[in-house]
Amino acid sequence: MENLGIDLKLLIAQLINFLLFFFLIKKFIVKPFNLFLDREKKQDKEKEDSLAKVKKSEEEMVNEQIKAKEKSKKELETVLNQAKKDSLLIKEEMINEANKEAEEIKKRLKKQLEEEKNSLYKEIKDQIAKISMELVEQGLRDSLDQEERKKITIRILKNLPNYEN
Amino acid sequence: MRINPRLKDDLRKYLIDKMRSEKNAVKVISSYNLGNEEKQLLKKTFPHYNWQTAKFIIDPSIIAGIIITVGSQVIDLSIKVSLSNLQNIVYESN
Repeated sequence: MENLGIDLKLLIAQLINFLLFFFLIKKFIVKPFNLFLDREKKQDKEKEDSLAKVKKSEEEMVNEQIKAKEKSKKELETVLNQAKKDSLLIKEEMINEANKEAEEIKKRLKKQLEEEKNSLYKEIKDQIAKISMELVEQGLRDSLDQEERKKITIRILKNLPNYEN
Repeated sequence: MRINPRLKDDLRKYLIDKMRSEKNAVKVISSYNLGNEEKQLLKKTFPHYNWQTAKFIIDPSIIAGIIITVGSQVIDLSIKVSLSNLQNIVYESN
């Protein structure tokens, strides 16, 4: 071995040195480094998980917002439709009421007109009767002479039944 | 003041007689002076009336016919009242 230029002691020492170095490296550098790497990896994974969760919750929120928007849109449409229907109904009711009132006013005016017409008709008829009677009376007064008056009186008396009392 | 009882009786008798005579007094209203024919007819138609004291009044406004008044009783047989009745009938027919 010596002939080959290999120093056994040195070799052993180097070997021991190497083993020692390996042991120290493994013990104080590799292990903590691995632990650090594992921790980092774990942290990365947790971050990714939380990011995924946040993303998912964001998506859910967006979906919920879309759903809420659709729902509110539908509700708005329903309310608008209902309002339209209600306004149409109110309009119809108002028109009906106005028509009814107009009809009542028309009836009342017609009745009033009829009453006034009847009253006027009665008044004219009364006036005509009064004037006619006055004319007849005046005519009889002017046209009947004493002889005719006498004839009428006699005729009236002759047509009377006998009065016992 | 005392009133003589005899005077009082006479006054009472006079008033009773007057009331009785007025109660039976006949008054005839006509548009002209009634002749004998009409008077006879009146006596014949109303024989129970006292025609001896009857008063005859002329009122041309009754046109023709007569109105007989006996006390408070009135028998209107005039043309004027006939026309008035006719006018009432015309009014009521409205």
